[in-house]
Amino acid sequence: MKLLEDVSASVDKLLPASRLTRVQWAASVVMSGSLLLLPFLVRLDGTPHADWQQFLGRFHPLIVHIPIGLLVLVPLLEIVGAFRPALREAAEFVLALAFISCMGALTLGFLLAYGSGDTGAGVTHHMWGGITLSISVLLCLLARPSWLLGNETRFYPATLAGMLLVLLWTAHQGGSLTHGNDYLTRYMPVSMKRWTLGNLHANTPGADTFYARHINSILDANCVACHGEGKVKGGLRMDSYELLMRGGKDGPVIVPGHPEQSPLLVRVTLPPDHKQFMPAEGRPPLKPEEITLLKAWVQQGASPTATTLKGIFIQENAKEAPLQPVGDYSSMMPEILRMESGQGAKLLPVSSKPSDGLILTTVDVAASFGDTQLAQFLKFAPFIVEAELGRTAVTNASFDTLSKFTHLRALHLEETAVTGDGLMKLAPLSQLTYLNLSGTKVTAAAVAPLDSMKSLRHVYLYNTPAQPATAADSVPQPIAKTAQ
Amino acid sequence: MKQHPLCTDTEQCLDVMDLAVPPELKREWAALQTRRHFLGRTGKVLGWAAMASLFGDRALRGDAHAPANGLPGMQAGEQLKLPHFAPKAKRAIYLFMSGGPSQVDLLDYKPNLAALYDKDIPDSVRGAQQLTGMTAGQARFPVAPSHWAFKRYGQTGTWISDLLPYTARMVDDLAIIKSTNTEAINHEPAIMLMNTGNMNAGKPCLGSWLAYGLGSMNDNLPTFMVLQSKLNTKENNQPVSSRLWSSGFLSSEYAGVGLRSAGDPVLYLTDPGGVDREVRRNMLNAVNEINRQTFEELGDPETHARIAQYEMAYRMQTSVPELADLSKEPQSTWDLYGPEAKEPGTFAYNCLMARRMAERGVRFTQVYKRGWDMHDNVTGILPVICQETDRGCYALVTDLKQRGLLDDTLVVWAGEFGRTVYSQGGLTKDNYGRDHHPRCYTTWMTGGGVRTGITYGETDDYSYNVVKDPVTVRDFNATILHCLGIDHNKLTYKFQGLDQKLTGPVPASVVPGLLA
Repeated sequence: MKLLEDVSASVDKLLPASRLTRVQWAASVVMSGSLLLLPFLVRLDGTPHADWQQFLGRFHPLIVHIPIGLLVLVPLLEIVGAFRPALREAAEFVLALAFISCMGALTLGFLLAYGSGDTGAGVTHHMWGGITLSISVLLCLLARPSWLLGNETRFYPATLAGMLLVLLWTAHQGGSLTHGNDYLTRYMPVSMKRWTLGNLHANTPGADTFYARHINSILDANCVACHGEGKVKGGLRMDSYELLMRGGKDGPVIVPGHPEQSPLLVRVTLPPDHKQFMPAEGRPPLKPEEITLLKAWVQQGASPTATTLKGIFIQENAKEAPLQPVGDYSSMMPEILRMESGQGAKLLPVSSKPSDGLILTTVDVAASFGDTQLAQFLKFAPFIVEAELGRTAVTNASFDTLSKFTHLRALHLEETAVTGDGLMKLAPLSQLTYLNLSGTKVTAAAVAPLDSMKSLRHVYLYNTPAQPATAADSVPQPIAKTAQ
Repeated sequence: MKQHPLCTDTEQCLDVMDLAVPPELKREWAALQTRRHFLGRTGKVLGWAAMASLFGDRALRGDAHAPANGLPGMQAGEQLKLPHFAPKAKRAIYLFMSGGPSQVDLLDYKPNLAALYDKDIPDSVRGAQQLTGMTAGQARFPVAPSHWAFKRYGQTGTWISDLLPYTARMVDDLAIIKSTNTEAINHEPAIMLMNTGNMNAGKPCLGSWLAYGLGSMNDNLPTFMVLQSKLNTKENNQPVSSRLWSSGFLSSEYAGVGLRSAGDPVLYLTDPGGVDREVRRNMLNAVNEINRQTFEELGDPETHARIAQYEMAYRMQTSVPELADLSKEPQSTWDLYGPEAKEPGTFAYNCLMARRMAERGVRFTQVYKRGWDMHDNVTGILPVICQETDRGCYALVTDLKQRGLLDDTLVVWAGEFGRTVYSQGGLTKDNYGRDHHPRCYTTWMTGGGVRTGITYGETDDYSYNVVKDPVTVRDFNATILHCLGIDHNKLTYKFQGLDQKLTGPVPASVVPGLLA
């Protein structure tokens, strides 16, 4: 008792709070202490417990929004309360309400984690965040009266600010548990990602193996939200090869060579309404081709190093660079339409989204569309992503103009008079992926330097000196494999 | 205020077009006026009035032409805010195999059937399926295994029948869909369903929706063209009619334009003797002026369609001869498509024309090949029709690919249904017949937006029921629209009080497994 009095006295000194009784203080200290001890008394052991715990626990994501809403309201009330005293009076009530709902949410959250057997770094972080938050709300409640009386002006605002930071962090942890770690950043523009997240490809060691290229990405997309670093359901983690093979509480999930005995494959192929079906909780089932790949990989030994699998052919539809949005040309529409009616060539929108750009189409006026006409479109160059100049009268001189079409992705020059002289003026077009030179006089030597253009994936040279049109075989020769 | 042309009152009447009312109401008023104009112009004869009521729905239709919220001169697609998203394919070629190709003999390999020769297919497989009148009365449904061997081809190791040696060479470029299925069991409803999304005639077809939604890329040729292949009288040719490329309730300028398979591609396209281009132009100018006056007077949007079609025909006088002039095609073309491609109207010729149209900015080309309806003598006829079509399909895909057109052209190969695994009529070791089979049939797609080198969907051991990943006609069409940048739920047209769409009112979904 002596000790408690000492603590209480020192707290009193720090926070002279005339209205607070020692009993209130003592209760708060006891409550904080038991909150801090709770995780050590009842350990999250990764085993699911009683159903009623889970049932109640699943209200946690719902109830948790009550304290969040109330806590965000408190600083607003305090600030506006400077002008409207009635609101400041309300702040006390809101804060108290927030504390009660905090305790409710904390209880439910603990029931959820304990009941469903969730473990993992994300769960632990979120739990400690919730406990810290509850204690700091309690502190706010205790500190507020002396702040109102003007005895202590800094402690309460500082605690409040700290509480809000804890709230933000805890809520983010919770969100990551529910939606997955990359939920916020998945659709972040690439440029911003590079800036905020640093090297994007840091986590792909041995990227050439079948596991790294295909299996890992399937697991990442479908499983790791519950079986990863953040949340470890059933003691199983699938975010690396070693962890995957180690399995969960009930043993390994993959039996190399035997997909039919591997719990992983058995459970993803159950009927979706089966109790054991994975992915659980109504998440979308794996796609058939994903199951095919998993099955083949397990069947053929679940090797971490194999680069290809027998009988599995994956068309590596080469990843196209993400479309870079062009600016909005909407304001130039009247000018564009004037140009079209005067010129005959058209600028058709790629889609209803202006940022997808325009396609320069010349098919109606191809014969009379030459370098001069092309130059007239320079004004709209930043918005043009595709130039259809096939069968037009453009010549090598147009490469100068085209080099200024900075957003060009596809360039059609088939059956034109270009010979490849000056072709490399296109080198600065970093987004050019498609170049059609079919039916021109380009030579192998003229197109060889194109290799240096990294983004250029589709180059067509049919019926040119570089790639003469070859006669098809007159008798079909099936490229048959032996029948298996 | 001005005197309305049809107003017989001496009083002046209000002109709705001048009033500050919402443009939709103006359009509705303009559409309503067409009925009034119909009655007025036909001398108020009772018989005509009766007929007018028959056409009442058409007169009440919505209006595609009144300037929408866009700027004058904008493309139809731009005004409709289409494509909804950046498309992978700008144009499409649809090879329609009318009659119902036999999936069991061509693309859906069932090795177990050989052992089941002449055994009845189990009731558990056949279920309570409705059969056609042609086989419903049969006492037995004996399994007729395919007469032809299958081999594996390409890196994908896809099983292809010996009947399709050319298709076999491009399997790695195809997405073969084994689980296509339809609700219709006879030709006309099934072919209508494939093309218009509805078994009953009167709805716009896929090509018309595309023409309406995406507009033209080219002023000198129609947006939507149809090529019919010459008939082979040995085959059982089911009728193919212009209902299949009709624009339904959309303006008739979105209907498919057919090229004839023999003689002049378009009849009466050449000017008659004594009429030169200038005379023709002057005549058209005069006619257009009269039509414009009619439109201003009555506001019937179909007037615009008529003006547009006159103008298109005028431009086609030069563009079609250029399109059909194959003299500049290099020898490599003939080596690829085969010598019969030189003969107008053959399937190979039409495939070559389809490539030439793709180059010239035609948005949608549909090639029809009739004769796949084999109720008997499969071993006699199937090799003939395969020989007629196999090389053309391969040549078209290969040609588009080598010329860099396959990147943004969608190619579709499909019939209206499949054929039964059981024999219709007598079954011998050498011959058998096959009836219509809607529950599963095989189609393929390739090109812009399609994930190639895959086989999608599975059928049971009898190629009778789909057991995995069914693709309904609605889903099939929704996927085609998706490749062209269209959300099938958003491309709608108000008609008879409904937001009509190609995929109809039953929910349809794009098949993600088919997309690149």
